[in-house]
Amino acid sequence: MHNRASLILGVAIMICSGWAVYAASGWPWKAALFPMVIGIPVFCMAAAEVAWVLLGKNPAARAMDFQISSDLPEGLVIRRTLLAAAWMLGFFAVIVLVGFPVAVPLFVFLYLRLQGREGWLFSAIFSAIVWALFYAIFKWLLNLPFPAGWLF
Amino acid sequence: MIEAFFEGLLLVLQWKAFAFMLLGILLGFWVGLLPGLGGTTTLALMLPFIYAMQPIEGFAFLLGMHAVVATTGDITSVLFGVPGEGTTAATILDGHAMAKQGEAGRALGAVLTSSLVGAIVGAVALALAVPVVRPLVLSFGSPELFMIAIVGLAFIASLSAEGARGMLRGFLAGGLGLLVATVGQDPQAGVARFTFDSLYLWGGLDLVPVLVGIFAIPEIIDLAVRGTSIAGELPAGRLSKGAFEGVKDTFRHFWLTIRCSLIGTFIGIMPGIGGAVSQWLAYGHAAQSARTPEERKRFGQGDVRGVLGPGAANNSKEGGALIPTVAFGVPGSSSMAILLGGFFLMGLVPGPDMLTKHLTVTFSMVWTIVLANVITVAACFLFLNHLARLTSVRGQLLIPVILVLIFVGSYTSNSHYGDILVMFVFGAVGYLMVIGGWPRAPFVLGLVLGKIAENYLYISVARYEAAWLTRPIVLVLLALAVGVVLYPLIQSRRARSRKAQHA
Repeated sequence: MHNRASLILGVAIMICSGWAVYAASGWPWKAALFPMVIGIPVFCMAAAEVAWVLLGKNPAARAMDFQISSDLPEGLVIRRTLLAAAWMLGFFAVIVLVGFPVAVPLFVFLYLRLQGREGWLFSAIFSAIVWALFYAIFKWLLNLPFPAGWLF
Repeated sequence: MIEAFFEGLLLVLQWKAFAFMLLGILLGFWVGLLPGLGGTTTLALMLPFIYAMQPIEGFAFLLGMHAVVATTGDITSVLFGVPGEGTTAATILDGHAMAKQGEAGRALGAVLTSSLVGAIVGAVALALAVPVVRPLVLSFGSPELFMIAIVGLAFIASLSAEGARGMLRGFLAGGLGLLVATVGQDPQAGVARFTFDSLYLWGGLDLVPVLVGIFAIPEIIDLAVRGTSIAGELPAGRLSKGAFEGVKDTFRHFWLTIRCSLIGTFIGIMPGIGGAVSQWLAYGHAAQSARTPEERKRFGQGDVRGVLGPGAANNSKEGGALIPTVAFGVPGSSSMAILLGGFFLMGLVPGPDMLTKHLTVTFSMVWTIVLANVITVAACFLFLNHLARLTSVRGQLLIPVILVLIFVGSYTSNSHYGDILVMFVFGAVGYLMVIGGWPRAPFVLGLVLGKIAENYLYISVARYEAAWLTRPIVLVLLALAVGVVLYPLIQSRRARSRKAQHA
């Protein structure tokens, strides 16, 4: 998984930086200077990273960053990751369809019921509290604009 | 001068000014805790309210609010791995790792105490440096400021992963951040770069959705995958004891805290570099303070020094940023630019007058920064038990709440659904980086520095052509950048030869 992710990132950066340099070559120098100065070395470094992965030379290169949990079977990790991503995308879809004020309690309730397997009453009370806090802080106190959804 | 110093304190302690400061602290407290809601935006929102105030009251209100935002932003970063503020993202790396190991109390204790130390150092710098800082600021032109950006990037890219390959990934991540920063209309020729004909992208990518995506999404996915609380199955224990340990950590690494505070102050003084940079430089310096490569390996895994550095720098930068704002009317950051508006609203003109006629007002600002931070840190310590206990709440309950906060936080950047899409895209990038063992810190620093670096590079080339590379301070900074890159390689080579000798 470690190498696959590196390969995906390396290839994606090669494509993006290559395209960035190509696009910048048609701009006036004022606009092209920085993308060129950065894009060319980034492309070369990404190519080196891809070559490193493909040639199989993989000395440990641990980042000074958090490590994802690795004590679970890979199949389970992938399934749960996809499920979490689906919940996030689903939440976004609900926001677009019905707007934030409705989507927030609806999402919290559905997540607690279906994913968290909480009881009806607990889910309803918890969702109501989250909605009340959302409304009090973002709508009432800060008066942030939340547009209506596509449906209502 | 000493008389004005204490007069400044007395003015802040007047009941009306003090009450406004408390109100500001209360607002700043919540703004800092909520991801996405920036201190700068809130400062702008609160500006109209100071019309009717006296200068001391107005600054007590605005600075009181602004001074605590970074402090409480660190709490969200430590507990949930979600940056409470753009300027508190670096605290996540080790602070949240500590929270996951059941050391949330210790991490919070360390970050709060170092924040307080940082705020005091920044305030003292403000009090002392105003008369002497002028030549320093004036000796730094665009070439030198561009080189500071490069040194910063070299610093974090070379230290954020181990070995030659780790360094390659660090620079690659930093370069990607710089490249992403070019999205939007370029400031010189007005060309729309990489905008895909989308009006949303013309203004460039906002930092908040990118930061929230790259840091929060991988953490939430990990929490969902583990199916436990943030602290896992670890017993909550006596968290207040841990908090005291964090306080002791600050004094155990006191010189590191002071050095990082000074880094924050220095970056704060430099106009246009911005507060988001100082935390990463401080983090890089904290990592560099590790004596051996083995010791450095602990960074990112929950080393308390990785919490102390950014915590101190975040708060000291405010005092630093106030120096050019007060002394020359040159704001050190966007929040200081808004504060500059506050000066004019209250009938004050920044400049020499602030050091003579209005010296008490200047000192009242110093005291406001110190008092606001003391009050906030004391209040936070009272609630620390409850705050740290949040890490033992089941993930299934936390995830929907955190998701609501990060979606709303991202959306409020531009009030556009594009903000959420940006969060998703960079969430995926962040997730791949974590899986692949790539450091995220250089990417964020590159993104933060991108626009600044481009601007300074353009001015340097347009003004001096290639001759900017021969300026003495540029050469010194270039040598420093090379040294920063070579240092970890030399260090690991030495360690290898020492190991070989022992074998």
